[in-house]
Amino acid sequence: MNLIPNLVANAATPAAEGFLTPEVVLTLIPAAPLLAAAVIAVLGKPLLKERSHLVTVAAFLVSFAMSLVLMFQDLPAVATQTAPDVVTSAIDHDHQLTYGPAVVAPIFQWVDIGNVNVRVDLRADAISAMMLVMVTGVSLLVALFASGYMHGDPGYPRFFGAVSLFVFSMTMLVLAPSFLMLFVFWEAVGLCSYLLIGFWFKKPSAAAAAKKAFVVNRIGDFGFILGIFLIWKNIGSLTFADVLGRPDKLEALATQSPELVTAICLLLFLGAMGKSAQFPLHVWLPDAMEGPTPVSALIHAATMVTAGVYMVARCTPLFVLAPQAQVVVSSIGAITALVAALTALTQYDLKRVMAYSTVSQLGYMFMALGAAGAGKDHATFAVTAAMFHLFTHAYFKALLFLASGSVMHAMGDVIDMRRFSGLKHALPITHWTFLCGAGALAGLPLLAGFWSKDDILAALQTAAEHSPYPQVYKLIFVVAAVTALLTAFYTFRAYFLTFHGPEKFPEEAGHHPHEATPVMAWPLRILAVCALGIGLLVGPLTHWFPDNLAQTPGLPHHEAHGMHFGLMAISAIIALVGVGVAFAVYVKGRSSIDGLPGKFGPLHKLSLNKFYFDEIFTGAIVLPLRGLAKLSFAFDQLLIDPIVDLFGAIPRWFSSIPRVLHNGLVSSYAIVMFTGLLVIVLFALQVLAG
Amino acid sequence: MSPDYERFLVVGAALFALGAIGFLSRRNLILMVLSAEMMLHGVGLSLVTFSRLHQSLEGQAFTVFVLTVAACEAGLALSLILLLYQSKKSLDINVWTEAREADLPPPVEVSGVPSKDEPQVFPKLTPAGLPPDPSRFSSQPTRDINASPKKGGQS
Amino acid sequence: MGTPLLEILLPLPVGAAAVIWLLPSARRKPKIVAGILGVISLFLLGRVTHSSGSIERDVMFDVFAAVALVSGAMMVTDKSPAYSALWFALVTLAVCGLFFLQSAPFLAAASVIVYAGAIIVTFLFVLMLASQSGGSNYDQFPSHGVYATVAAFTLLGIMTCSIHRWSPDTKTDAIPGQLQTKAMVGTANPLSRANDTPTGSLHELGRSLFGDYLYAVELAGTLLLVATIGAIGIAPRRSQGTL
Repeated sequence: MNLIPNLVANAATPAAEGFLTPEVVLTLIPAAPLLAAAVIAVLGKPLLKERSHLVTVAAFLVSFAMSLVLMFQDLPAVATQTAPDVVTSAIDHDHQLTYGPAVVAPIFQWVDIGNVNVRVDLRADAISAMMLVMVTGVSLLVALFASGYMHGDPGYPRFFGAVSLFVFSMTMLVLAPSFLMLFVFWEAVGLCSYLLIGFWFKKPSAAAAAKKAFVVNRIGDFGFILGIFLIWKNIGSLTFADVLGRPDKLEALATQSPELVTAICLLLFLGAMGKSAQFPLHVWLPDAMEGPTPVSALIHAATMVTAGVYMVARCTPLFVLAPQAQVVVSSIGAITALVAALTALTQYDLKRVMAYSTVSQLGYMFMALGAAGAGKDHATFAVTAAMFHLFTHAYFKALLFLASGSVMHAMGDVIDMRRFSGLKHALPITHWTFLCGAGALAGLPLLAGFWSKDDILAALQTAAEHSPYPQVYKLIFVVAAVTALLTAFYTFRAYFLTFHGPEKFPEEAGHHPHEATPVMAWPLRILAVCALGIGLLVGPLTHWFPDNLAQTPGLPHHEAHGMHFGLMAISAIIALVGVGVAFAVYVKGRSSIDGLPGKFGPLHKLSLNKFYFDEIFTGAIVLPLRGLAKLSFAFDQLLIDPIVDLFGAIPRWFSSIPRVLHNGLVSSYAIVMFTGLLVIVLFALQVLAG
Repeated sequence: MSPDYERFLVVGAALFALGAIGFLSRRNLILMVLSAEMMLHGVGLSLVTFSRLHQSLEGQAFTVFVLTVAACEAGLALSLILLLYQSKKSLDINVWTEAREADLPPPVEVSGVPSKDEPQVFPKLTPAGLPPDPSRFSSQPTRDINASPKKGGQS
Repeated sequence: MGTPLLEILLPLPVGAAAVIWLLPSARRKPKIVAGILGVISLFLLGRVTHSSGSIERDVMFDVFAAVALVSGAMMVTDKSPAYSALWFALVTLAVCGLFFLQSAPFLAAASVIVYAGAIIVTFLFVLMLASQSGGSNYDQFPSHGVYATVAAFTLLGIMTCSIHRWSPDTKTDAIPGQLQTKAMVGTANPLSRANDTPTGSLHELGRSLFGDYLYAVELAGTLLLVATIGAIGIAPRRSQGTL
């Protein structure tokens, strides 16, 4: 069973005996990207210039290696120890940092006021390690790809500096031992996302998209921090060990006031909705595609947007106590998945199709997370399904984005699928790697997405059987199946439109489009291999992923679920049907594509216009807020400003008389000085003489 | 002999006060510096008196430093004055009004009418030997300080 | 001592009136009035000061003090800057005389050399370089003349009162007219060691300057050097034209 970990652990053990203590390993993971960001910030523009990527790639390499060491050597070592006290003994304060098998590196005391004790520490357990390996691995490949993709951009060092900063923030987010640090780096990744979406800040649409992402995320973060406040108020601590590591306390709280736990969960989920682009806060993610494509691949597909999923999975001990909240999570996920998939059907912008697909797949993950509402016995299975999908999705979606970027690169920054077609001969590497990613996303049998999607369906089925709300979960199951069909359809629609049909290039591409350079091609190849095999490798074949994730403290123990051959057959059929329909429509019936919109009429229009969400937001939120802002502005102009001006005018008025003395004549100044001297001498004498 | 420190101190104070009058009322840059030097004289006199009063040399040593500083000050002040004169062609302190409040009008000339009928009077030395032939200097710029023979130059 | 305050303050308004009379103005004023006022003022002042008991010393003091004060008043009021500079030379000489009276011969000599020999000559040169060919009205119209005089004499009054109030003449242990230094205590510099053999004031001053105040003397020398460089740097070049 534990084939890979043992192999790697055995290989790594002798080399890592020396200075690579668990603390050093843990510290190096975020420290390397931070150092890279600092170096690029200082030296990037004057010295490194087009060599900036070397620093970043080296740092990511270190982080990735350390993540592997952490996962395959340090964590198993901790897990075998019976007493976790050995690890925590290094920490000299009352609050226990860890609860269960975890590696901890104390860094420093941040706040120590009264009974508020906030430490900045690093803590990694199984779920963190999984996220770390995924984040640093994808980052490494994306950074390599970007070194070719961004070549010649004037902001080259800035790009790599921001990406390094992002990886630092993301690893810190994953390593956070408390809700407070989680929130801090939650915001930090938001900042990096803002910086990178608005990377081409001179483009108005990019600046607007960055602002939109930031503002929409604020809505979610508002809920998140309210949830954190509630936890602080009711539990009195923010460390995971105190909150999540005391199931007895939580259960007492849940029996005492169940609505409170539900409220906490819903507020935390609101934060996750913002970060992970869930309905109705999903509007920012498609617009975020204004950033450079590697950024879309890294931040807006593979890593940052999954922070919400990670956070909810991390809070499983809290969520299992609130079945109502779980239903909400699942429902929101279902709505998001369906709406985004429907929108993706008609988009012509290749990256936007991928963006809606990302939203849809994130919805999938939340569906699975919500399925943990089935009860304690099934929670781990549901969370594992979600995290498994997160894991596989990161690889194939990053691959799809990078391949789209490669297409975009070749087509001279044209991304509209109507303007090019039949690229399979011109861009063979891109074509094959894209096909791998598309197959994985569509859920073709044996590919990465197939296994994880299957697990999610199984989790939903379990929830429909055991949850107190069977009807809802049945409906969600149907939605998931429909979404899977739609996913297969739109993915291959994009594939067929781009790579099949008559060969056509936009004029921006020049006469002969160039295939990706080796530095761009190799990350694509590696990711393609992952998309093909990683699902099978870590999932059903070795059972390593679920076994490993089950080590995560806080997840209730459960017996392993078997294979679901019936479900597998269903999802395989769904995927194949979706691909077949896409093939029929876009390859066989290519001549009649132009008539399609007419047939569906208003439905097509609805999907093309993204269900008018942007318009609804404008009407419901932006316009009232703008009105309020105008009102405030008027208030400020008409009332506040005159009052402030008045306070300014009073001294000015008083000073208008002595100001005349300041006439620039030296003799006047001398006279005044002399008079002052006279007064002082008189006064001093008065005092002395008594 | 009875002690007589007081009268020296009074003379020092009086010199200081007279210097102050000069500094405050004269508009000629050079005379302002000169008045400041006179104030230093008053201070020096007082210091020497105190030195005698306290039977210590500190006061005298201090006066030596005052003297040094006065010499430095005079040298620097004079070169600065030359610089100022070069840019405005006047030694009047009141032509330098740039330090005033930006929106104030330039100060009005305190006493505007120059008395043209009373030209500047310069000391005249009794010529010794033969008077120089004026024709030899006619090509030179006329800054002859004895150039007002018709008025007689009596003060 | 026992002198009433009024008597001490009486010379001041008279002197002030004399200076105000002397101040340059458009109207011609007979200088004799100011002269009479000045003489009255000086007489009143001389009446209230203590005499030392030695007639030669008193006479010398009266002469020097009178010359200093009259020259000072003339200096600040003369319309011609050149005359002012010459009056200033006279002030300097008179002050040097007063230095002599207080057994400070080195200072007297230094003052004559530095002021009369160097500074006044330089001033005169600058005056010649920078005076305009026509009459300059700024020398004939003082600014704030009356106010300045009143203020300065007020200050003088204050100073006179305080000198009189804490009169040093009540000290009786000193020998007037003589400077007798006491041994410096607690100085590490061997040069400042008190010498038992009686030496003159000049010797003592030299020892003090190059003993107690060695660093200050070095600093003052540096200051002079810096000022010289500065003056050379600031002064307009001949190549820049004019002057």
